[in-house]
Amino acid sequence: MWGSLFPATGRLLRPFAFALSLLLTAGVARAAEPAKALVWDADAARHLLSRAAFGGSPEEAERLAALPLEKAVDRLLDEAAAIPPPARPEWVRDVWINGGRRWSDMSREEYLIVLRRNSTRNAAELNDLRAWWLQQMIASKAPLRENMTLFWHGHFTSATGKVFSFTQGFYQQNATYRRDALGNFREFLEAVALDPVMLAYLDMERSNKAHPNENFARELMELFTLGVGNYTEKDIQEVARALTGWILDAPAGAVKVHRPTAPENMQFASITRDGMVPTFVAGQHDDGEKTVLGKTGRFGVKEVLDLIVSQPACGRHLAGRLIDYFGADDSGGTLRDRMAEAFRTQNYEIRPMLKVLFTAPEFYAPKARGAKVKGPVRLLVGACRDLRLEGSATPSLAQLTAQLGQELFNPLTVKGWPSGIAWISASTLPLRYRLGEALVDGKAPELPEPLGRLRLMAVSREPDKAQTTIKRLQAIDRERKQEQTQTQAGFSVHFNPSLLFAEGTPENPEELADALLKRLVVTKVRPATRDAVVAACRSVSPTERPALAARLILASPEYEME
Amino acid sequence: MTWNLDRRQFIRLAGLTALTSTIPSFLGKTGRILAGEPHRDTAPLPGLKDNRVLVIVQLAGGNDGLNTLVPYADDSYYKMRPRIGIDAKKVLKLDDHLGLHPEMVELHQLFQEGGLAVVPNVGYPNPSRSHFRAMDIWETASPADQMWKTGWVGRYFDAECQGVPGAMLGLRLGEQAALTMAGERTRAATLANPSLLEVPATGALARGLEKINEVEPTGIDALDFIQRTGNETHGLARRLKAVVRDIKPAVDYPPFALCQSLRLVAQMIVAEVPTRVYYVTLGGFDTHAAQLNRQAGLLQELSQALRLFRKDLEVQGHLDRVLLLTFSEFGRRAAENKQLGTDHGTANVIFLLGGKVKPGLHGTPPDLIRLDAEGDPFHKVDFRSVYAGVLRDWLNADPDRVLGGRFESPSLVRA
Repeated sequence: MWGSLFPATGRLLRPFAFALSLLLTAGVARAAEPAKALVWDADAARHLLSRAAFGGSPEEAERLAALPLEKAVDRLLDEAAAIPPPARPEWVRDVWINGGRRWSDMSREEYLIVLRRNSTRNAAELNDLRAWWLQQMIASKAPLRENMTLFWHGHFTSATGKVFSFTQGFYQQNATYRRDALGNFREFLEAVALDPVMLAYLDMERSNKAHPNENFARELMELFTLGVGNYTEKDIQEVARALTGWILDAPAGAVKVHRPTAPENMQFASITRDGMVPTFVAGQHDDGEKTVLGKTGRFGVKEVLDLIVSQPACGRHLAGRLIDYFGADDSGGTLRDRMAEAFRTQNYEIRPMLKVLFTAPEFYAPKARGAKVKGPVRLLVGACRDLRLEGSATPSLAQLTAQLGQELFNPLTVKGWPSGIAWISASTLPLRYRLGEALVDGKAPELPEPLGRLRLMAVSREPDKAQTTIKRLQAIDRERKQEQTQTQAGFSVHFNPSLLFAEGTPENPEELADALLKRLVVTKVRPATRDAVVAACRSVSPTERPALAARLILASPEYEME
Repeated sequence: MTWNLDRRQFIRLAGLTALTSTIPSFLGKTGRILAGEPHRDTAPLPGLKDNRVLVIVQLAGGNDGLNTLVPYADDSYYKMRPRIGIDAKKVLKLDDHLGLHPEMVELHQLFQEGGLAVVPNVGYPNPSRSHFRAMDIWETASPADQMWKTGWVGRYFDAECQGVPGAMLGLRLGEQAALTMAGERTRAATLANPSLLEVPATGALARGLEKINEVEPTGIDALDFIQRTGNETHGLARRLKAVVRDIKPAVDYPPFALCQSLRLVAQMIVAEVPTRVYYVTLGGFDTHAAQLNRQAGLLQELSQALRLFRKDLEVQGHLDRVLLLTFSEFGRRAAENKQLGTDHGTANVIFLLGGKVKPGLHGTPPDLIRLDAEGDPFHKVDFRSVYAGVLRDWLNADPDRVLGGRFESPSLVRA
């Protein structure tokens, strides 16, 4: 139950008797301009929770604000660092052997059975994995840890659209990203480079000295660490050479079947790899001298990653990505520099960068508050938390984020998730406004039919015969639709307004509207929205008011903002 | 009753004029066209200098180009495809060397009438045979060894449509956003069905939503952007609802996927919805086995859908505003495989149609003697040069800027 699992910041952050608003000045500021003052109060704390922890109630914000800023941020970071990993989904195995191998002595029919069984199982696991992760985000007692996992998922991208029938690999990647989310970046980067799904996604798997594949090497420097302009095309080629020699193999000790893969000309890794243990094959590795970022040596993975992480551009690039994700008014770029400095001087740890960010005046600047568009996952997770919904995440609920443009584990490109207003389009915004249908009313938004059906085979060019065929196909479609509606899974969520109002739900329309708006919205509330909520509450009976008001607020531009 | 234009229905449509006082002006204008003003000038799209529209038709899965545009005079073709080669007697001939698949009756007719451009052997150097990579390459227009993160149309929007208003400059009909339209800014919508834009509500909820949707500037940029988009989308939803309801196609489209997608695109074009680029998909071309029946059905769908779409626009006086371009991520292996299918290959055929297209065959038959190491024909036309021509000659854009390089482009559009 989510309701009873929300606790979180409240229980761990004991209210301090001396509620003080602290006036902090920025640690580093250029001498020429006076340091901007930062007022740490309940509003600032609410802002921090909204960005860092998928939202927080006004009460949680007040409790957090009772601590001095530094302590409050430390508390959030401590909680995030300390929380043990969640229990894994039940289908995850200890030892994974590829069940999708295609052997040369298999008939086509035999292989099709294997393929179908393997794809079906992986698809079901993937649906479950998406719901499982959403559930962690919604119910986590340390939401910052899940939020950082989501950040890294968008940063170190891999996508099920390219790497299929490998759900266990995606679970493992997710577990790795969660484990290292606030840890040491250098160690994390090595885990990423040798992550099974990443090896497959960016073609480092089986990249060999004869044909070094540059895909991972390029994204490693362009997207993951340095950013464009901080390396050369030659560096990419040399790094690619250093990263050759890795395959995904069966676990040590596993009995290997010595059957050739078929057909011989099909070298798809998904049908030829044995398992998912990253394994170094010395004979495939280019152990010659390479020159990378100005240094020369017989580099392998470790040396190359050491070189890259020690570049000044690395900390700056990561700081920029974090600022983009969490939001701050850093027009001068000084926050970015301070974060990069913390990264560099503290052994490439991630946490000190977050500390600088969450205590920075730029993060709390008036221009930064309530000014950022929530990503789809943040929106959905935040709504479940804000409304204290009871129930648990189902695959259908996870599917909602896909319709909003953020299907977990499947970003459109290697660039990962967009941010800000890029989430908003003519097609995604109306669906975002319909979130309340699913969460408050508990029903799956009824999606319209596709525009047409597949032709499947050539239809007669004689009009009468064509009409007969079409009528027959349409009858099949109608039957199928009926079956589908009968078996639809739906959502297991329930909205109980009394959980939101410990001292009783206000009945007066103005009071109810103001109380709910205060609880749900972190940006400026426009008169139109308040008027609409008040008028709607007036027009229905008191028992219907909270759900109607919540539906309207969830369909407001204000709720889209964090 | 056939899928071609039904004369009686067409005449009945003229009745739309009677409604002009109660329907939005753009529909009224449509009524007048239907009543007998077949060629007329439409206003430029808001913020642009012209009113042209590009329609991209994606044939997903890798269409077998050699059985689409058949080199029927080439013995090597029949040697490599003894069981699935298309019988030369059945091929719909375009010239002495090349002809269309027998199910492409409508496109053959269109070719003979001078309404179809056919570009054989389109591809790029070092082709990828992975669906994922090849699709990315075609959609981003990147070199084969680079992963670009924006699509060629998305970059066109970024570079040339900065000041152009509108939340739906691009429209992909389908479930997933098209990489082709991904740019620095989101200018394209993705819809499986236009009714997705509507937020269903009645009573107090509907009244509340209406009120919330009013625009009240706050000074917070992103919040104001959402307000404007919400308001605009609300208007768009109403407009599309009216378009779907009131714009009567001039032809009957059968209930199949591509036909219905293009039917909607035609309705939107006729209604002058401010969308510059449409993107529709016909999937299922990955014919590794038993491809004869499957590809026949797919090519029949392609042929009929394109022909109906063209006729529809022609009758309603909008054909000169439209250029349609097909593409597929790759062609297929020259030789058939053991399962009476074909495996992933390389160069492929592109079709273009529209009121201003330069009709005819723009190229020569594939060379089936000199094949690459995998056994696929080499490309003769770089797909980026086709894009360059479309950008320059149709969208009045600077192709070098959008494509990140210069590609000599054949002119496929009449001045």
